[in-house]
Amino acid sequence: MNIVVTVKQVIDPNLPPSYIDLDPAGKRIVSPFGVPPVMNGYDANALEAALKLKEQHGGKVTAVCLGDDTSRATLKRALAMGADAAVLLNDPAWLELDSAGTAHVIATAIRKFGTPDLVLCGRQASDTDGGQVLYWLAEELGLPAVGPVSKIESVEDDSLTLQRLIEDGYQRVRVALPALLGISSEINEPRMPSLKGTMAAGRVLISGWKAADLALEPIEPKVELRRLAIQVRTSSAELIEGEGGAARGAALAEKLHAEGLI
Amino acid sequence: MAGVLIFGELSDGALAPATLRLASAGAQIAQALGEPLIGALVGNEVGRAADEFRCGLTTLYCVQGAHYRPYTAEACMAAAQAVIEASAPSLVLFAHGAETRDWVPRLAARIDAGLVMDCAGLTVEEHALVATKPVNGGGVSAEYVIRGAHRMATVQASAFEPSAVEGTPERIALTVTPSADTRVTVLAEESAGATSGPRLKDAKIIVSGGRGIGGPDNWHFIEEASAALGAAVGCSRPVADSGWVPSSHQVGLSGTSVSPDLYIAVGISGAAQHLAGISAARKVVAINNSAEADIFSRADYGVVGDYREVLPAFVERVKQLRGSN
Repeated sequence: MNIVVTVKQVIDPNLPPSYIDLDPAGKRIVSPFGVPPVMNGYDANALEAALKLKEQHGGKVTAVCLGDDTSRATLKRALAMGADAAVLLNDPAWLELDSAGTAHVIATAIRKFGTPDLVLCGRQASDTDGGQVLYWLAEELGLPAVGPVSKIESVEDDSLTLQRLIEDGYQRVRVALPALLGISSEINEPRMPSLKGTMAAGRVLISGWKAADLALEPIEPKVELRRLAIQVRTSSAELIEGEGGAARGAALAEKLHAEGLI
Repeated sequence: MAGVLIFGELSDGALAPATLRLASAGAQIAQALGEPLIGALVGNEVGRAADEFRCGLTTLYCVQGAHYRPYTAEACMAAAQAVIEASAPSLVLFAHGAETRDWVPRLAARIDAGLVMDCAGLTVEEHALVATKPVNGGGVSAEYVIRGAHRMATVQASAFEPSAVEGTPERIALTVTPSADTRVTVLAEESAGATSGPRLKDAKIIVSGGRGIGGPDNWHFIEEASAALGAAVGCSRPVADSGWVPSSHQVGLSGTSVSPDLYIAVGISGAAQHLAGISAARKVVAINNSAEADIFSRADYGVVGDYREVLPAFVERVKQLRGSN
């Protein structure tokens, strides 16, 4: 099975808001010195799902990343985890694109090496929390899309049987291949790269593709980021006092009852 | 092109409570644009919900058909596209939820619309439509300008008060033939949240557990407290990811955004993406064994201690207090 996985490099989502900063234009989040960016968590789940499919059914896994030059680190991690090939789309003009534009670049690159059997994407990126690129990508590639996928139950010759999360539970869905899936974190626990894999990936030279390589025209955005603002939380809770946990629990009940909340 | 079109939703045949909140968001922006508010309902049986969907609408489009349950993106997209073509709105709004975040971006791609999802606010500034939404797990808020021939947004309904506006919209029934695309087939639909009690997004009280609960064997503390209080059961993302409880209980940016009167967070550290999902809660109580937990920055009341002592004593005292009324 020929699988493409889209991966994005993001600021470490575990950094508390008090540790992050914005660039002077107020349009980009800057991580503190010494804290490296990471592979988007849902994308790591998507890559893990692709590697498992490859282990069970054979095939090839290609990781595709749109990002700046530092994103090579995330692609090297993808290679170290077991991806067979890595493609970096790093034209500076692409960094400001909206979801539609980003998907257009990735779709053009994917078409260049032939539409795969399966495209796996994380359900959303933890920096923009947009959750759109995968669907624009599916539409542009003419693929059916299913998300958020929490389990791949079985693989048939020309289809997959999946579980997808819905409001109150899940659906079991069969999707014809080729298809695009939005992967959620319930599906697996991404593997750590092996030492051998990391060393081998370190030696791979990842060249970058620019607009001229894909013969792309400038893209007019439909959604434009105006500014970012860090949410500062200053309020602090009124602590309920008492001798021991049980006494504090009872005191909490008194307090909430007095306020008419329970 | 004129009008703000809002897509209502059904809940057990009735109008979903979130739709009334979406209507408030829609009414504000319609007023700012000086355009009418238009409604739409799509479902297998929309009659009862249509009677309840007033909200100052001038027109209500109803699309009814047996193929809208179980949920498929193709059916929703085809229906929405038909309503958009018939009503030619300048802006289309949806309540952000598990289904809309799947099919609305795909619709946007199909009709080439500018879309921002999970918006906490929408304003018109010098003729530009500005959407505000949490990003980076909720620690940062972003302002986007939405452009394009079609403009769309999914809205955190919980960020708005329910609309109490009456009205007698003109009803227009549309018939949309089912899509011929059979590449996605629903085999079965299962409700994982088989627990009785209120739904998360409509609940007045939510008791929510995090990793601090210690393991699935201790989850009964959360369920017992919820049952005693008549509350819905929530959980944090690590709990859902670990499979202690189904993901349908997950509160936060990648789960459900909630707006209860009272949110009781037990053993939840308070990751930004969780706090973003409870920003519309009226009062937040945190029970945590670490006084340093970030949840205390959002909580109105905090109890530092072992939840296994605090929670049962709390529930017991609530029962006594309620009984004495």
